[in-house]
Amino acid sequence: MAPDAKSDGGRLDRSERELVELMQGYLDGRVDAFDRLHAALAGRLRGYLRSQCRDAALADDLLQDTFMQIHRSRRTYEPGRPVTPWAFAIARHVYLMHARSTGRRLRFEDRVAADVKAGDIARDGLQAMVDGDEVRRALRGVPPHQRRALLLHHIDGWSFGEIAARLGIRVNAAKTRAFRGMKKMRERLHGHFSRERETRRAGRSDGVRRSGGRR
Amino acid sequence: MTDARTAIVRDLEPVRPLRSPSVRALTLAPLAAAIMLAVPLLHFFRPDLRAIGFVRAWGFSIGQSLAGLIIVAAALRESIPGRALSRAALAWTFGIGIAVPAVLLGLTASTFDLGPGPGRALRDGIVCFRASALGAVPVLIASAVLVARAFPLRPAVAGALYGLGCGLIADAGLRLFCGFSQPQHVLLAHGGAMAASVALGALAATVTASR
Repeated sequence: MAPDAKSDGGRLDRSERELVELMQGYLDGRVDAFDRLHAALAGRLRGYLRSQCRDAALADDLLQDTFMQIHRSRRTYEPGRPVTPWAFAIARHVYLMHARSTGRRLRFEDRVAADVKAGDIARDGLQAMVDGDEVRRALRGVPPHQRRALLLHHIDGWSFGEIAARLGIRVNAAKTRAFRGMKKMRERLHGHFSRERETRRAGRSDGVRRSGGRR
Repeated sequence: MTDARTAIVRDLEPVRPLRSPSVRALTLAPLAAAIMLAVPLLHFFRPDLRAIGFVRAWGFSIGQSLAGLIIVAAALRESIPGRALSRAALAWTFGIGIAVPAVLLGLTASTFDLGPGPGRALRDGIVCFRASALGAVPVLIASAVLVARAFPLRPAVAGALYGLGCGLIADAGLRLFCGFSQPQHVLLAHGGAMAASVALGALAATVTASR
């Protein structure tokens, strides 16, 4: 996974020794040390993330998340130990968490698509969806802090790392807010679709009279 | 990187790194000693304590407690990114954790037919299970806090490891209280309490990590 950080005899090689010094500076709160550490690690981490997700733009997002996570857990670095395996382990974790949440989101979207397909939704109901009335109504029912995370991620396309930085919360909290917001949206839209289905069913059983009445 | 860099630079301040896993595990030593003593003190000491001798009674219990602390140290190491234990190391650690009380029982017991009297198996089993499982809780909480302060990438594994260590520590006290050597009692009551500690540790670490 990570490049070998040690030379023969278990001693740190030169580049790793430099990283260790930079990491120490970073722990001491020096911005220049962080910048140099970032410059030294970013390329390799980006390459690793790119090889995992096979998407350059996504790899850049994940790289940001990785550095945010490195920052949050920097106190878990043991002074004097190689920095590279530590940083790569965090990058791998960030990638795996992303893959897991993406999988979850895809399954959720598949379920919604299946609901729509199987639910015999009235054309005018879909039209209402297209117009956005129901979506907006459902969105209004989502608590503001969840709505903000949801819109930033799903509409504006921000990464969770960016949302966390913007809102001053942890990445996991940003993910949770967006996920819960989406769940609430789904529940509300599902309620709307259920009502639509019932209306249609009632309309079908009493179709002639109702259509006659409308005319 | 601009956004992340801005956020990081804004938040940049000196931090003190965590101490090494072994040093942090050693901070649990007083608690481990207290638990080892509390389990028999809250009930009673096994009747054959003098007969088995100082080394086989106290020496073995102290040794088992130390083994528990070493496993907690392994859990603390596991919760540092890049220092995860390999599968082989995990298998060895769990194997040793299970073997230690079994070997110590083998070295302490003269026969393996000493067990609860007729009709008392369930009641005595529950007493031992409760004493060991409850004894593990304080050190389990302390270990959970130590692990949560790090960054376990496999929380369930780290939790199961410290659960095993805490189970061993509590069982070190239990062996000063319960002198039964019957395999079914030892497996179900003593082993069951250790298994419960492992499960509780895995659960606690997973829940803590998801927050």
